Amino acid sequence: MGHALAGEAGELAFYAGLFLVGVFGFSLVLINEVAPESVSQVPTDALSTGLGTWVFGILSLASMITGGVTLLYRLARIGASSERRSAIAKMAGSIDMIGPTIDDAQALPSVPKGSAITESPGERLTYRLAAEKAKSGIAGPATLALLWSSAWLVLLAVVVSGFWNGQPRWYLAVLLVPFAMISVWSFRFFLNQFRQFAGIGPTIVEISSHPLIPGGQYDLFISQSGRLSLKRLTVLLTCEEETFYRQGTDVRVDRHEAIRQVICKERNVAVDPQGPWEQQLRIDLPDNVMHSFVGTHNAIRWKVVVSGESQPWPSFCRSFPVVVHPPDLSLKRSPR
Amino acid sequence: MNVTLCNDDGLYRAGGELSAKWRISRVPLDEVQGVEVSVLWHTEGKGDEDLHVHHFQRLAEHQLRRTGLADEQVLHCVLPATPLSYHGRLISLQWCVRLRLFLANGREIVAEQPFHLVSAEMVRPHSVSTDRVHTAALTKAGVGGSGRGKVLEHAPAS
Repeated sequence: MGHALAGEAGELAFYAGLFLVGVFGFSLVLINEVAPESVSQVPTDALSTGLGTWVFGILSLASMITGGVTLLYRLARIGASSERRSAIAKMAGSIDMIGPTIDDAQALPSVPKGSAITESPGERLTYRLAAEKAKSGIAGPATLALLWSSAWLVLLAVVVSGFWNGQPRWYLAVLLVPFAMISVWSFRFFLNQFRQFAGIGPTIVEISSHPLIPGGQYDLFISQSGRLSLKRLTVLLTCEEETFYRQGTDVRVDRHEAIRQVICKERNVAVDPQGPWEQQLRIDLPDNVMHSFVGTHNAIRWKVVVSGESQPWPSFCRSFPVVVHPPDLSLKRSPR
Repeated sequence: MNVTLCNDDGLYRAGGELSAKWRISRVPLDEVQGVEVSVLWHTEGKGDEDLHVHHFQRLAEHQLRRTGLADEQVLHCVLPATPLSYHGRLISLQWCVRLRLFLANGREIVAEQPFHLVSAEMVRPHSVSTDRVHTAALTKAGVGGSGRGKVLEHAPAS
């Protein structure tokens, strides 16, 4: 309780400080613009040019607005019960201009709409599922490898020039060895990611109907292209509990697979650009399973997972989210 | 403080109606600043708590003086279609009727009566299965419409 109160007080102090700093900065800018001769004694280097003045002014204004609005919001929350806060938020959300319409949000509260899924028609079946965005892209490893290699080359140039001028920098020369090892590691990591990115072709997943209903049966079409020799290829339907929690100043995420249904499992699958691996499968969704749910810190997510162990390419795992509705609903379905 | 649900088993169909009775006894009216009655769901488990109020009613001091505290009060609301009650490994989603009493000295007393929001299939007696995802919720101890929920007392923040 004491920690929570201290934290709240700290936040209030921070936003109050932010607001006051903004007021002070903005006042300086205004005075400088309106009556520059009266602030001759103020050391305002940043205000010496017109551009600097405006940049400083905009930053001050942003600081003032952010600090003021957040401070008022935090003050309004003090003393209200958690239920009252939630009721106020709900009331605000019901205003058309702020939140979704009643038809959209109130029909199935806290269930993701999944409209993005039904926007993409499939070629073999009704809908093509969109893949979850990969957590590790190629841009990060590429940037790391490039920047680290560049920094290493600059250091190398400094060392070489030192030797050239007869003033060798031995410490720097010794440092070049571990730096080179990091450079090699980052380059290999980039190559690994690149191989995975370029070597494994796209995975296409299509489904006969969406959203899914417990107890329902659905056709699933999977196509995996690329030039691959897979030791194992698995298609799963999973239900995952996902929870976010604060630990100190960190926000951590924990996941648990509550349901795992193997739809297809094949060994020694050969894929080449002319002949992608294609399968028409069937999903039998069990009765009495939990529907998809999304809260602020907790979620229950259903997805189709296609994973493969391959050589020489690295293994891959691609997820295609689906939405499961609760049973007994006569909701309007897509006309498709 | 007492909250009583209309269904003895504490099972409510999604989209169905909920009726509850609540009463505050042995508290002088001039010591009460306000009462909040809410029907809400909240999460429990490893993650930070999510809380969403479905039905909210606040009775201020002057309203309480008009209605009085001695009589039993009734709460009616239509429940939403989702989210259904759930008990998993990391997440539990629980519905409850929560009664919060604000006292003049700054103290708060909270009484809670949990219930289960389930699909219509689950309410039918023949269809209750042993599926761990859904029906684990039904076996939770202490759940029942006529039973008393937990009562918590909060001291004023200092």
